[in-house]
Order: sequence, then C-alpha cells, then structure tokens
Amino acid sequence: MRQRYVLITLILLSLSSMAFSAPLTEDEIQVKVREISKTLRCAVCQSESVWESNAELALQMRAIVRERVIAGESGDEIRAYFISRYGDFIVLKPQVKGINQVIWFGPFILLAVSAFLIYRKIRVWVKQATKVTPSELAPIDDAGRQRIAEALKTYHTGEK
Amino acid sequence: MKTWQVVLPLLIVCLVVVFYHGLYGNPSYIPPVIINTPAPDFAAPELYEGKEMRLSDHKGKVVVLNFWASWCRECALEHSSLLEVNRRYENDPQFVMIGVNYQDKENLAKEYLEKHGNNFKHVRDYAGKVSIDYGIYGVPETFVIDKEGMIRHKSIGPIIGESYTHLIDKVIEPLLRGETLKG
Repeated sequence: MRQRYVLITLILLSLSSMAFSAPLTEDEIQVKVREISKTLRCAVCQSESVWESNAELALQMRAIVRERVIAGESGDEIRAYFISRYGDFIVLKPQVKGINQVIWFGPFILLAVSAFLIYRKIRVWVKQATKVTPSELAPIDDAGRQRIAEALKTYHTGEK
Repeated sequence: MKTWQVVLPLLIVCLVVVFYHGLYGNPSYIPPVIINTPAPDFAAPELYEGKEMRLSDHKGKVVVLNFWASWCRECALEHSSLLEVNRRYENDPQFVMIGVNYQDKENLAKEYLEKHGNNFKHVRDYAGKVSIDYGIYGVPETFVIDKEGMIRHKSIGPIIGESYTHLIDKVIEPLLRGETLKG
C-alpha cells in the first residue's frame, strides 16, 4: 500500500515537472516579451518603452528580450542583464535602492514629518485655548443669569 | 530656537543645492556602469573576410573597440584619429584595434572605409547584440580593454582634439605599460 502511494507521488511529481519544463507557446512568449519590454526604456528615445518604440535599438532590445524569454529567464533576470549594461536608467520604474530610495520614501517621510509638526502645533493651540479657568472668566451679572434661566426654561418646556 | 526652525531652512538649503546641481550638470550624461567590469566576449563576422572573430582571440592585449556606422557624421570626423592611433601601435604585439559596424549595411560600410581609409579590422554587429552587450546608446563610442580583459575606458563621441590626446596619453600608454588608470 505504502509503495503504491510512493509510486503515485513520483508519477505526479514527474508530470508536474514536465508541465513546468514544457516550452512556452507563441502567445505566452508574446505576453512575456510585452510585459518585460514595457518596463525597459528605449535607450535612444528615452521617453518611450522598448515595447512602444520603433527605433532600431529598441527592436534589437526586444529581440534580445524574446531570446531570453525563450531561454527561460525571468523578467527580473532579463532586467538585471540590461541594468548591468546600461545602468538603472534603462528601467522605467526606478529601483528601490541607493539614492533612489529618496524618490520612493521621501514623500511619505515628508508627509509624516509635516503631520507630526501640524499635530504638535495643534496641541499647543489647544493647550493655549484651554488654559483659561472658569474663575478667570468675566463674572456673570444678574441680567445674564436671568437670560440663562429663561433660555433653559424655554429649552425644557418648549415654550417661546 | 525650535527644532522646526532649524530643520525647515536646512531642508530648503538641501533642495536648492540639489536643483543647483541639476541645473549645471549635463542632463544627457548617464554614468557608464560598464567601466571596470569584464569586457563581454563576442563572436561576430569580419566585414571583409566574413570569418568569425572573437574578442577572446585577443586576450592579453590592449584592445580598442570602436563602434561606428557609415551614416554617422561624427564617426567620419574621428576616423582619421582612429587611423592615426592604429598606425602608432600596429607594430606593438600587445595592441589591437577593432571596429564594430553598428546598424549598417555591408556595402555602405565598405564604401565608407574605401572613402575614408582603413588600417584595422572590423566586425559586423548584425542583430545589435554586441552593441547592447556594451551598453551602446549611439555611435561613435569607443572602449579600451586592458590586458586582463577589463573595460577601463569608455568614450562617447568623436575621438578628436583633447579626447584623442587623453586616449593616447592617459589610457592606451599606461595600459600598454601595465599600469592602472588614474581617476
């Protein structure tokens, strides 16, 4: 019985590995090439991705992406190849490393610092506003007391 | 003095410095990442003989690799300097100069060399693989590879005037003597 389970597991494993090593279809290759090429900058046109550009160099870069996709390389591996040749400039989305981290985290840090400063300022204002004690307020005269009493009466009875 | 009264002006000063640096720097300059890395080997057909040439065939030599095209005006500007460089070192067994013909037609490349003269070998980069392996943006671009096969110099634009003397005195000569480059 145990041997049968082992055999079934082995068959399933070999089938799944066959599935993984199966060559990509043309459609899958196209999708991957487009996906990766869209993240790479055309080195000569600069504002366009390798996918969008029709410059000769972009076409050649696309052909290299395709070759590497067929060879089984991942998107990160292909991007790493282009970065090793052209530098970070070649990827349209800046990498989260080195000085680039300022671009990624700078706005959030600035937001947090600003929020903290505003919070502190508001706290100071609130403190200053509540500093006045009832004894420091101007005393209420008789006319005032009467007005308050009338207002309370109106409030409770609903009469005007 | 309150903290924010120090931090805020400091941040503003930092921003001004960054913008000032950006204004006076060259926006089109992208620092090459390929310097001091192993030169990618390539196998490409020679322009005239058609047989395959490999960079590794020249291991142990100082290699000047020049990317050019017949349609490139700046390449024509520097061509006589390249011929002069090769004339100067062609008898040195430790030196070799190779032209890499970039995005070009074979007959136009040959016509160009007939017109401007030629004294070194050229290979054709059909699919742009060699160019992309060297991180080429355009032509002319020139690389100098040391005897250990490391890229030690990259020059963008024509080798004329100061860049010519720099290439000879500060790059090729020290590398032929086995020295390391300064700066």
